[in-house]
Amino acid sequence: MSAIGHSTVRVDASDKVTGRALYPGDINLPNQAYMKILFSDRPHAIIREIDTTQAEKLPGVLAVFTARDVPNNEYGLGIPDQPVLCGPGSNKLYADRVRFIGDQVALIIAETEEIAHKACKLVNVVYEDLPIITDVLEAKKGDAFLLHPDRGSNVFGSYRIRKGDVEKAFAKCDVIVEGTYTTPAQEHAYLQPEAGLSYIDEEGRVTVVVAGQWAHKDQEQIAHALNLPNEQIRVIYPAIGGAFGGREDMSVQIVLALAAWRLSQRGINRPVKIIWSREESIIGHHKRHPYIIRTRWGATQQGKVIAAEVEIIADGGAYAYTSPKVLGNATLMCTGPYVIENVKVDACTVYTNNLPNGAFRGFGGPQAAFAAETQMNKLADALGLDPVEIRWRNLLDEGDLLSVQSPLPKGVSIRQVVEDCALAAGWKKTANGWRRENAQNAATRAKYLKRGVGFACAFKNVGFSFGAPEQCTATIELHGDATIEKAILYHAGADVGQGAHTAFRQMAAHALGLPVEKIELRMSDTATSQNSGSASASRLTFMAGNSIKGAAEEALKKWHNEERPAIATFQYRPPATTPYNAETGESTPNFAYGYVAEATEVEVDIETGVVRIDKVWCSNDVGKAINPIEVEGQIEGAVIQAAGYTVLENFIQKNGQVLTPSLSTYLIPTVLDIPREVETRILEYPDPIGPWGARGMAEMPFMPLAPAVIAAVHEATGVWFNRFPLTPETVLFGLEEQQTA
Amino acid sequence: MSKKVDIKVTVNGKLYERSVEPRMLLSDFIRHELGLTGTHTGCEHGVCGTCTVWFDGEPVRSCLMFAVQADGHEVHTVESLGTPDNLHPLQQAFMEKHALQCGFCTPGMLMTFAHFIQRHPNPTDEEIREAMAGNLCRCTGYENIVEAVKLAAQRMAGK
Repeated sequence: MSAIGHSTVRVDASDKVTGRALYPGDINLPNQAYMKILFSDRPHAIIREIDTTQAEKLPGVLAVFTARDVPNNEYGLGIPDQPVLCGPGSNKLYADRVRFIGDQVALIIAETEEIAHKACKLVNVVYEDLPIITDVLEAKKGDAFLLHPDRGSNVFGSYRIRKGDVEKAFAKCDVIVEGTYTTPAQEHAYLQPEAGLSYIDEEGRVTVVVAGQWAHKDQEQIAHALNLPNEQIRVIYPAIGGAFGGREDMSVQIVLALAAWRLSQRGINRPVKIIWSREESIIGHHKRHPYIIRTRWGATQQGKVIAAEVEIIADGGAYAYTSPKVLGNATLMCTGPYVIENVKVDACTVYTNNLPNGAFRGFGGPQAAFAAETQMNKLADALGLDPVEIRWRNLLDEGDLLSVQSPLPKGVSIRQVVEDCALAAGWKKTANGWRRENAQNAATRAKYLKRGVGFACAFKNVGFSFGAPEQCTATIELHGDATIEKAILYHAGADVGQGAHTAFRQMAAHALGLPVEKIELRMSDTATSQNSGSASASRLTFMAGNSIKGAAEEALKKWHNEERPAIATFQYRPPATTPYNAETGESTPNFAYGYVAEATEVEVDIETGVVRIDKVWCSNDVGKAINPIEVEGQIEGAVIQAAGYTVLENFIQKNGQVLTPSLSTYLIPTVLDIPREVETRILEYPDPIGPWGARGMAEMPFMPLAPAVIAAVHEATGVWFNRFPLTPETVLFGLEEQQTA
Repeated sequence: MSKKVDIKVTVNGKLYERSVEPRMLLSDFIRHELGLTGTHTGCEHGVCGTCTVWFDGEPVRSCLMFAVQADGHEVHTVESLGTPDNLHPLQQAFMEKHALQCGFCTPGMLMTFAHFIQRHPNPTDEEIREAMAGNLCRCTGYENIVEAVKLAAQRMAGK
């Protein structure tokens, strides 16, 4: 029996159900010290002075470190624009500033967490406040106060697409629909707050045990800030308590390394431990970007979209994080999975004194899909067309050109997912095109309850885009004599909870023709594995799978050549991509995609404004489900997270302060808040270059839900909501506006 | 610092005598003093349910209690439920039904439902959902947890 295509039990399941799995906060070493971070309490200020004398005098305090102690005081995934510690006296000119309330100012290392906490309050910081800019439109203005004076503008990333001639095309349109859409911030709310441990290992490496998404990138960023060679840094991931993009950037990694390193230089060789509280986690890591999307689409009477003009303004927050890359995705996806001959997109991302925004499941796709799909649904409405039918007339097929004037890679299946989802949700293909049966007859339980159905679809890249270097490396060792007794797979790919390591083992077993029990895993340690790239962009099954497949093939060759043990390392490189042309956006953006369609049925209580999502149909082309129950788990989890994003989760910042810094003020869905039923429909149209046909799939089901719900609420109430979350207040205001209009 | 208080607490059947700060949380006591790190903390104010343990046989949020309140009482944590070789039916069902992803919420879920199943040997979906409302999970979408609880209940009733 093949090892893939079956729902095997997770490799870590036994440890996780018995409480034996160790997350970063669960690991203790003898003689460890505890660290607390002093965060900025100002959204924007220059630090004139930091006096640590009183803190250092407190009995039990081992050390207090500030900006002066950081060898190279900058970091950042794309642009190194963030100080490790903010304050005077470091090697970077503007590192004396804090730009959001989660900026880190001082590290206090003490015998106990309690002492460190007390000492934190004894550090005296003299701030000189600067203007607080929290509105992207203000921040974008030419004369706005600069958050990063060395960068000359608060706009730190922009793209444009020019295809055809939109003005001429609009003149030919029978219908034009315009909208300004705003999307909210979202907190990842993984249940394991940031934590970690650092020490100098037996080979003298500064070692950090932490939960992240890309061990080798963490290693590189730590090395950059400490001015040490990469090899002198070691990063180990134990069990990781969720990520969703929220662990893509640094939180405690660099400061943990810095603390252990500086202590050791003072002759104090002690491990350093930190655990963030939930509040620290919420202010300390980035959020999903709020976007403003202004857009105008035009179509012919026949329902063919021929022109789309889009302006995107993203709130990047205080530092770059992955904002430019998130924006790149949104720029591509803001015109949907459709053939549109004339496209004009102008997109930018802007610094503000809000929390930084960055990676979160979907990576710019959900914001873009909200605008694109709502535009499509409004066009259907304006033309009296069925929402599936209008899509059917515009969907991209193989060979069609994207807005960036290149075709999608082979294996395009957007039409198949739309068809599958539509049929499942009650649509029929008729002689007159797609129609939903009983469209107007949905029964309601009471007069004040209105029901509606909505539809949306989306496409999402798998892997790094737009010319970003992309690779993944695996090593396999085959042990035994006449027969292979065991195979050891070394891989850095992070299992953030999605079940990657289980899929790795299945793919290795399949590639080697061994039962899964013979595969031993050595995972996520930069000292034993090579660079895998991150657990993000729905890339890990695809990229790791190809690397494992290659390593297995080479190891088997060596095995047949009588090498014992047979050891092979294989680096997989997918087809190259190219960046946006600065003027026209022309590019080959991605090497692989996943496709998804969703329909949803909602009930709106027009007296209380409560929107209840009753049912979601999700058709997701995953290429090949390596482990079907894990795939289903990703779909259900993504749909529920998207449901929270759409109707419940409400992250509020005011004047640079977070008003929802806990799980009692920032609400995520409990089991009673979720859709009553999610029908997951796994489709398997192989990706020609995916391992055994597999595509990435974990972000896709997130993307179409918000626009599908918005369309369903429109059908129920007659009101188009251009913003969400659809909290009861938002819904009631919308209904009132409609009544007064 | 406040004066320490001597307490005697029976955890997973074993008596521990410790001297603790009066304001030490029961969750911190379990994790840091006793090293039983299967009990997790995710919010420290009683919302997420990851720290759920049994206090004299009843599920409680150990982050909402002080260690001193446990003096003379009996506490059970996830470590008492079962071992890899001898799993509780719920643990077995969570594994089989893929009722966990990152697994951080799992010990709290298990402690909630190990108690629930005793009271509701034949639970309905509604009852399971009602009982789960105090435990957050950000990964799974909850459906497989409902399925796992049902499966465990069936197996336990069949015994």
